[in-house]
Formats: sequence, C-alpha cells, structure tokens
Amino acid sequence: MAGSTPPGRAAVRPDLEQLFRAAYPRVVAVAARVLGSRTEAEDVAQEVFLTFGRSSVPGGQAVGWLCVAAAHTALNHLRSGRRRASREEAAGGGDPVYPDVADTVVTLDERRRVRAALARLPRKQAVALVLRHSGLSYAEVAAALDLSPASVGTTVRRAESALREELNRHASSD
Amino acid sequence: MRHPTDGTLRRLVDEPAGVADAERAHVAGCPVCLAGLAAAREDAAAVGAALDVAVTADVDAAWQRLSGAAAVQGRRGAATAPGRRWRALLRSPVIAAVGAVSLLLGATAAAAANWLPFFHAERIAPVAAPQADLVKLPELEDFGELRITEEIRIRQVAGAAAAREASGLAVPRVAELPRGVTGEPAYHVLGRVSGTFTFSAAKAAAFAAAAGQTLPPPPPGLDGSQFRLTAGPGIAAVWSQGRPVPAMMVGRAVAPSALSAGVPFETARDYLLSLPILPDNVAAQLRGFSADGTTLPLFMSVENMTSRPADVGGLPATVFTSRDGTVAGVVWVDRGVVTAVAGSLGAGEVLSVARGLRWDR
Repeated sequence: MAGSTPPGRAAVRPDLEQLFRAAYPRVVAVAARVLGSRTEAEDVAQEVFLTFGRSSVPGGQAVGWLCVAAAHTALNHLRSGRRRASREEAAGGGDPVYPDVADTVVTLDERRRVRAALARLPRKQAVALVLRHSGLSYAEVAAALDLSPASVGTTVRRAESALREELNRHASSD
Repeated sequence: MRHPTDGTLRRLVDEPAGVADAERAHVAGCPVCLAGLAAAREDAAAVGAALDVAVTADVDAAWQRLSGAAAVQGRRGAATAPGRRWRALLRSPVIAAVGAVSLLLGATAAAAANWLPFFHAERIAPVAAPQADLVKLPELEDFGELRITEEIRIRQVAGAAAAREASGLAVPRVAELPRGVTGEPAYHVLGRVSGTFTFSAAKAAAFAAAAGQTLPPPPPGLDGSQFRLTAGPGIAAVWSQGRPVPAMMVGRAVAPSALSAGVPFETARDYLLSLPILPDNVAAQLRGFSADGTTLPLFMSVENMTSRPADVGGLPATVFTSRDGTVAGVVWVDRGVVTAVAGSLGAGEVLSVARGLRWDR
C-alpha cells in the first residue's frame, strides 16, 4: 500500500512543509466543494495532511493523493452530517427553509440539496466531479482515480446529470 | 462517423484541446451533438455554481496548526517511546485483527492499548466508556518499565502465499467483495512482537500521586515482578484504493498473551482493577469478564461506536459500528488467533464477508 504508515515510530516526512504550502489551498478547495463550509474544509485538510505527513506517498503523486483523500474524507463527513440533518428535520416535523424568503435562502437550499445528492452518488463519480470542479485536469483526475482520461468525461458527465436532475426536481416541485 | 460519447462532449466543455480534431469537427456540424454539448455545458455550469465556494486559505496559520499537532505527537513519542510502539502496533493493519476499531478510528482504543497484553485472549469483549474516560486510562509505562525484545516489523509481501509462508497463519480468501470494494488487496505481514514489563511500585505510586491519588500497597511479590508479553505474528489483506482509510481489510494475528515471571495473573489483575485511577465504569466492565484472564478487552468510546454480539462460523464474534454509519468491523478469536474484517462498510457487509471467508489450510 503506497500510503501506509511506516511501522513503529511515525516520523513526519521531511518534505511535508514544502508540499503543504504548495497544496494546502487546493486541498481546502476540494473539501470545501464537498462540504460547502470553509471551517469544515480546513478541518478536513488538517486531517488529510496529518495522515499524509506519516505516509510514504511519493512526492510526485502527493497532490493527486491529497485531493482524493480530501474528497473522500469530506464525503464521509458529509454523509454523517447529512444523516444528522435528516434526523433533525424528522424531529422538527418540517422543512426549516421557506421558499420565498430571499434569493440567498433559495441558494442555500439549492446548495444543501446538491450536497445531499452528492453524498448519494457512487463514490467514484462524486470524487471525479469534485476534483474536476476543483481545477484538476482530466489527466490529473484520471491519474488520481486510476481511470482513463476518456472515462473521466463520462464519469463527470453522469455525476452532473444526476445532480442537475436533483436540482430541477426540487425547483419544479416548489 | 459515429457520434462522440457523452464523455467526449463533456470534455469539449472545459478542455477542448484534449478532444481529437476529427471529433471536434464532427460535433461542429452535427445538430444532435451540438444539442448534447449544450446540455453538458448547462449541467456543468449549474452544478459548478451550486458547488462553488469562495475559499481564501490562510496557509501560514494552517501550517502552524498542523505543525503544532505534529509537535504534540512528537513530544508524546519522545516521552514514552516503547509505549508508543505498542500503540503503533495496535494501529497497524496487521493488528487490525486485534484493534480494528482503534486502527480505523484513531485514538479511541489507543489509550487503552497497553492493557491488552495482560490478558491471554481466547475471546473478545467490548469495553464501552466515554472517550474522556478512555484517554484517562493509564499506560503500562506508568506502572513500571517496558522493554521491547522483538521490535515491530511490518512488511508488504507479494501475495497470499507469501503472507502465509512468512506468518505461518492460514490466509483467508474473500468469497465475494462487497459493493464498492474492488481490485486486489495488498498483503502485509507482522513479525512476532514481544517485550518484558517490570512492575515498579515506586513508579505506580508516583503516577498516582501526580493524579492526586494514593495507591493501596501492592500485593506481596508484585513489585519488581516481570511479565513477558507477546503478540503476533499476523497478516493483513488491505483494499485501500488510495484512501487514508482502507475500503476494507481482513486481518489475522496470534492474540496477545502475557507470561508472568512472578505473581499469578489474578493477583496483578485484582490489584490493577482496584486502583482508584481507573475510571469506575471501565474497571467494572473489566472486572465483569476478566475472571480467568482469557478475554481480550476492546476499548471503544460510547460517543463514536456501538457494538453487538454475533457469530461467525459458530464462534462468538463482536460487531462494531461507528455511530455515523461509515465504518464497521467484526472480530472474533479462534484457538488463540484473532481474525477481523473491517472497513468503510456496513455491519451486514462485514458480517457477510466474515461468514464467507474461505480457508486454504
């Protein structure tokens, strides 16, 4: 396993600071796209870099590894958060967002729906989508997810189509 | 020519240079493809807008936070190096078999890890307590001196046959991978790990004094008595798929055991469980099943985990599930060997994998 923790003492890798400074904004951006929150995204980035710091992932693969790890970790957070939110809604007996308050509320609601839908997507689709929208090239997404560049487009397209459907479904039902 | 795929149309939206000239030329003159391209462009823009978050990251502050966290880990490591090795052992993929939960969820079980060698495992029982109590559990080194005689050695091997040869353990095959787990696993082998622990009444008293407690006098013979602790060898098959938390792992290891050079196990156990520095609820649970010292306690925080009994191939097993539903594991002991299946899976999935394991003996 390329990313395994070395046995015994968990020494922090010497290139950590350099890679951190280069990749941190991008890693936060990936997590933020999943979570919609900068604070949560920064927590995820810390978690990912702590794991990375004890790993032996080659420096050349670091950015891809970090972005994939950030997407997965954020999706895990999202999944648990979504469950909490749905329990709260069930307990409160109604949707807390009213449709005609303000544009910002509609936007927030839309964002919430798109993230709930993101959590339900097949994991690979969700990760490919988030990485592409965070600015990774098709080749970078392909390398990070072990896909061919051609199938990156297909995977991202499927994910977008599913999310768009989700947005439209709710827009027309309001 | 045939219409380019949806994937190619999608790439035309934001990376047209990556699409072959012939395909671009086709799309430019094909109403069907132009409509598909327009739809792809709209969907991409709508989803992009919904996902977009303005983030300005303060890299300096974030680096300070990270290096602060790393420094704390480093200091702890320097102060209690041998104890730390035992904890690291419990976090390794191989000892997933012993502490699947501690490996997957980090520190919950780690604080308690040093208790394991006091018990010779023939079965496993969960010990559930609030996280705050688990981190208060003393470490072995608070009561004496731990000297490692066989260091932790974990190495990756080429495959199941090599793992079997290196460990002497039967390596199970997974009959059917759960949905979402793909590819071939990486095999890791852990060599035997052993150490000698010497109980020190003075050290224990100093530790208790630091916590504002006075210990009862140790029973005769305990001060200076030695315990030989061993665990492993073990193996783990890990389906990691590039994630920090593996998708799934199947691990086995010879269960931890302790040999006492002086006092009987019961004497040490009764004394340790009577100490005022153990959280009451933890001590009570340990007391409940440690009559003969053959039950391995698996510590878990009640905030994060739930457990329930199950059976695997007629043997009693414990199923763990994280409360957020993202991680589950099942662990059982068969003739002194701990086996665990765990991963980013549901309880039903890990049980199904565990019950479907095939053994080449």
